[in-house]
Amino acid sequence: MLNAIIMPNRLEITLKSDLFDAEGEGIRQKATHYFGINLSQVRTIHVVTIDARLSDDQLKKIQTEVFTNPVTQISSFKPLPVEFDWTIWVGYRPGVKDNPGSTAVEAMEDILGAKFGPNEAIYTSKRFCLKGNGLTAEDTDKIAGELLANDIIQQWKIFSKDDWDPETGIGFIIPKVKLNHIPTVITIPIDSDSTLKQISDERNLALNPNDIPIIRKYFLEENVQATRAKVGLSDPTDIELEYISQARSDHCNHNTFRGLFRYHDLAADNLELVDNLFKTCIETPTLTLKERKSWVVSVLWDNAGVGRFDQDHHYVITGETHNSPSNMEAYGGAITGIVGIYRDPMGTGKGSKLIMGSYGYCVGHRDYKGNLKPRLHPRRLLDGVIEGVRDGGNKSGIPTPFGQVFFHHGYMGKCLVFVTALGIMPAMVNDEPSDQKDISPGDLVIMCGGRVGKDGIHGVTAASETFSEHTPAGHVQIGDPYTQKKMHDFLLEARDEGLIAFITDNGGGGLSSSVGESAMFSNGCDIQLEKVPLKYEGLDQWEIWISESQERMTVAVRPEDLKRFLELSKKHAVESTVIGTFTDTGKLHISYNSKTCAYIDLDLLSSGFPQWEFDAHWQPPDKRGLFEPVLRKPVDYETLLKDILARPNICSKEWITRQYDHEVQGTSVIKPLVGTGRDVNSDAVVLRPVLDSNKGLAFSQALIPTYSLIDAYHMTSCTIDEAVRRLIAVGANFEQHIGGVDNFCWPNIQYDLENNPDGKFKAAQLVRSCRALRDICLAYEIPLLSGKDSMYVDGHLPGRYGETHKVSALETLQFSATSVIDDITKCITMDSKMPGDLVYVLGTTGNELGGSEYYEHFGYTGLNVPRVMPEQFAPVYKALGHAVGKEILASAHGIYRGGLGVHLALTAMGGNLGMEVDLANVTVDDVDRNDKILFSESAGRFIVSIDPKRKKIFEDIFKDLPCACVGKITGKPDFVVKGIDSKIIISVPVDSLKTAWKEPFKDLC
Amino acid sequence: MSKVNALVLAGYGLNCDHETAYAFELAGAKATRVHINSLIDGDVKLEDFQIMVFVGGFSWGDDHGAGVIQAVRLKTNLGEKLKEFIDNGKLVLGICNGFQTLVNLGLLPGFNHDYSVRSVALTFNDCGNFRDDWVNLKVNSASPCIFTKDMDCLELPIRHGEGKFYSDESTIEHLVNSNQVVIQYSMPNGELANSAFPYNPNGSVLDIAGICDPTGRIFGLMPHPEAYNHPTNHPDWTRQKEELKRQGKVFEISPTIGLRIFQNAVDFISNSNR
Repeated sequence: MLNAIIMPNRLEITLKSDLFDAEGEGIRQKATHYFGINLSQVRTIHVVTIDARLSDDQLKKIQTEVFTNPVTQISSFKPLPVEFDWTIWVGYRPGVKDNPGSTAVEAMEDILGAKFGPNEAIYTSKRFCLKGNGLTAEDTDKIAGELLANDIIQQWKIFSKDDWDPETGIGFIIPKVKLNHIPTVITIPIDSDSTLKQISDERNLALNPNDIPIIRKYFLEENVQATRAKVGLSDPTDIELEYISQARSDHCNHNTFRGLFRYHDLAADNLELVDNLFKTCIETPTLTLKERKSWVVSVLWDNAGVGRFDQDHHYVITGETHNSPSNMEAYGGAITGIVGIYRDPMGTGKGSKLIMGSYGYCVGHRDYKGNLKPRLHPRRLLDGVIEGVRDGGNKSGIPTPFGQVFFHHGYMGKCLVFVTALGIMPAMVNDEPSDQKDISPGDLVIMCGGRVGKDGIHGVTAASETFSEHTPAGHVQIGDPYTQKKMHDFLLEARDEGLIAFITDNGGGGLSSSVGESAMFSNGCDIQLEKVPLKYEGLDQWEIWISESQERMTVAVRPEDLKRFLELSKKHAVESTVIGTFTDTGKLHISYNSKTCAYIDLDLLSSGFPQWEFDAHWQPPDKRGLFEPVLRKPVDYETLLKDILARPNICSKEWITRQYDHEVQGTSVIKPLVGTGRDVNSDAVVLRPVLDSNKGLAFSQALIPTYSLIDAYHMTSCTIDEAVRRLIAVGANFEQHIGGVDNFCWPNIQYDLENNPDGKFKAAQLVRSCRALRDICLAYEIPLLSGKDSMYVDGHLPGRYGETHKVSALETLQFSATSVIDDITKCITMDSKMPGDLVYVLGTTGNELGGSEYYEHFGYTGLNVPRVMPEQFAPVYKALGHAVGKEILASAHGIYRGGLGVHLALTAMGGNLGMEVDLANVTVDDVDRNDKILFSESAGRFIVSIDPKRKKIFEDIFKDLPCACVGKITGKPDFVVKGIDSKIIISVPVDSLKTAWKEPFKDLC
Repeated sequence: MSKVNALVLAGYGLNCDHETAYAFELAGAKATRVHINSLIDGDVKLEDFQIMVFVGGFSWGDDHGAGVIQAVRLKTNLGEKLKEFIDNGKLVLGICNGFQTLVNLGLLPGFNHDYSVRSVALTFNDCGNFRDDWVNLKVNSASPCIFTKDMDCLELPIRHGEGKFYSDESTIEHLVNSNQVVIQYSMPNGELANSAFPYNPNGSVLDIAGICDPTGRIFGLMPHPEAYNHPTNHPDWTRQKEELKRQGKVFEISPTIGLRIFQNAVDFISNSNR
């Protein structure tokens, strides 16, 4: 039988013709909205191609019991006679993760009681049946290529009614990976720097030229050569250089943040040497604060930061970005990003349970109609990342209650996809602190979870490879939340039984990073690479070592615990494999079929690799020619307010929020959407992560990159201030506990006359941003629990004449903030509650419209960017905390992008109640115009509403602080604003404001 | 009196097991989270329990129809035991993915006590997407359903992409006539949603959100009662609290109406144990 040829079978499944095909209808509508192609009908057919030896009875059994719902579906092993003018078949390229394919195998093995052979598999694909008058081949191909498929991971075929053979249909397409390659280790000559440089370039090693001499020096040392000779090695092997390249990459090593900056303030003609931004602006302040904040449990070394939640629990948090992959393949990149970040808390301490995730998307304008041709139009890109994070989060059973979207042309070059993950763990596991972990020599190296393929090798550089029928398109991946959820449940059970000595995730760099970094704890390891389970044969040793195949964790298990560990692994249907042993030899020792292919001193990496260096030139905004626009005050404030509410970065994005399960785990306290209509965005979210406790975990994020157009220092300080105010607005205590996570996304800062002429300025912006991070975090006492940086957010986009344009992102910081709430029943929401309640504005409104939404609405940037003044703001924040403690606030809401006018409107819209305010009562500093009071984005401000009975006690708390009663909530649902000249400038129904605010994306769901 | 034992299924992508177990604990049961494989391997015995819960989640990723593969696996490996469990007058609850699994197993609707026929389906939402929202539900007081005893209406969150209840007209008619339609999506004023989105969030025929078998001992629903296990789960709780304050009352942490469904199950067993 072994050599018998497998006759594949192809099952087509579709909904009964009288059932509504929601997926097909969605495609029909997008074809119209996106391309103006009018279709009368789209029906979807699911195709299951079974490349396995099965009898007719077996086929019949799986057809009826697994693949066909007798109530809703019909199916056939012959092409289904669904009507079409054109039909499109879309399937994965070889090597792309086909999640439904693998679950189908599980189901069939179960029901048939037989295991699939190594050459047997199931592949899923889809066929779309399109009907439309005059539909052309070009239309159909456009829908296929720009809506249904992405050529990086998928292949497609189109058939017209006439050239369709109802017998053969799409034929049999088996995307099986066939490499026919014998794994080989190659020795790399290092006779000169230039040779090594050349080979580095040829092999995409991406070795930094400055590192090359150090690498050569090591391999040329006599005693090194002598010890290597003993294990049969001479010059470095490819796997050794790949290991060094991974470990030295900016991703793993943060060479930029640890670099040396020559910061030149041109206006002051002052040159400073800034040595290591990470140390001076992140590490040192955080360690200082850790001394003062007993709740800070573990920071700056593990996969995520750890803070105390209560006596018996710690929470865990980290965040990162997945920009380049999402930019290539939005869905795959985003789902891989969210599922990937979830492994960090799983790999923190001895492992934590995931309790929430959040998202941040920065993309070009959804309705972009210009001449630039990004790989994916922003609209399609956004659709894809939304769906990727949706499936990754929802299928992981982890709530996704918070997120942000920001549209700006600068993200056309490369989009940003921020993903953040929080977990919780018992303070003690088996009488040991859960945040600590260690490895002893002799502990076993175990790889858990998915198998290894060519996935993610050398990241997106591989994207330039040309595809053949059977070469894996693995460099862009599709995360598999199902496989990871099984692993998550398994690892927590193993942790609670005390079986996990050490754990870390496999992300960037694969085993090379996870094992390489773990080995530092015991000071050595022996890895038998042939033991690593592969998706398909034929991977070279170096590929197995650095592959970024997803859903894998690396665990250190004591030999005596192995049996039990594997039992649990089996019970949870998770694959776990011993691939080696940790040692204390000081060596990273890798063999393949008992032949050594790597033998490196672990301390090589800490042996004087040169620091990266940057020139940073700062020119203040006014010297750069920025100025305040000459803008006389408007008259029609009603239309103006509605138009600002309808701007893409202000308007409702409920369609995204509702796609995300934000209540799984039953912990939801403050939801993403609040108010009587449950449709206005909350300032922050609050969870009850320990179900039988009334303590809460509050979480918020902020992102205001527009201010970087003026000064990244103030962009950063305002972003942090906003995240903090968001927490305070739901009832967090500013004095007790605020934790932070910084995620930098920056364009390339390395000056190059040709390719990066403003590199020195961008470098200066980074220095200033880091200094603001340091200053504000120290002033507000925010330890940075975790953080990541992603540089090189630039892209070269083709234009209409074949030319290309470099498009760089705004200098962007996403700041996440957390707080622990002692009593969740004291939490508050932003929506107005009762007619008659008094409305207060806390804080001072200044002439600070630089970079504001208002100026942007007219195409201006301006100069007067908002500034954060901690010494003035902190007392207000503390007072607000007292007011929350006394439970005298009916609502609280920060004033963010768009200013007072927008956020007063949102407060009214939240309660669906009216509001009367008098701008003359607002506390201002050097502002004498209604438009500036309404749209200034000064930091440090809140809108609160209270029961008039509480007036006295409330005002006593804010005695001597900027706190002004500006109006009241009314029963008549009108939004009425009186200008400083005591004339009514706005009087509109609240629901008309809400309609305007919802208008832009109202058709999406 | 011995405690009521509730078995809460876990593993293979299920994800509401913790809060569902917590809800049963609050209702006074002893809830045990059991991996599907432990049940199949016999490490845990179904006969030791009086309530079996199929929880929410994405079993096997829901890749080939929500709950389909879970149903296949349980039918293949536990078919007989499940039948015994039901014949012994015990209770079965299916929430969301669990409901989808029950209809694919044929445990629902279980016409004429035949628990093997797939005659109803939960298919893709008409809105074409996964949706998280709170819905109003009307309870059919004439239904034999144990779990909704003495309830008339309630609010619960829904969180699904495949919640559209569908079947042919005769089956629907049968469900209605036998009062097996337990809960229906409604308007805030209590009237049926009559397919109006988002009150009926998925396009379910006849606004059906949950059904039971003829005995009322097997109940499946799309909404998530276990996610309303605390007053602060409710989207309007801060407003409710403010209203109470104005009346000089305090906002108390009392059992939610979501927990009532679990309480009814536990009470039923305790009473039949007496």
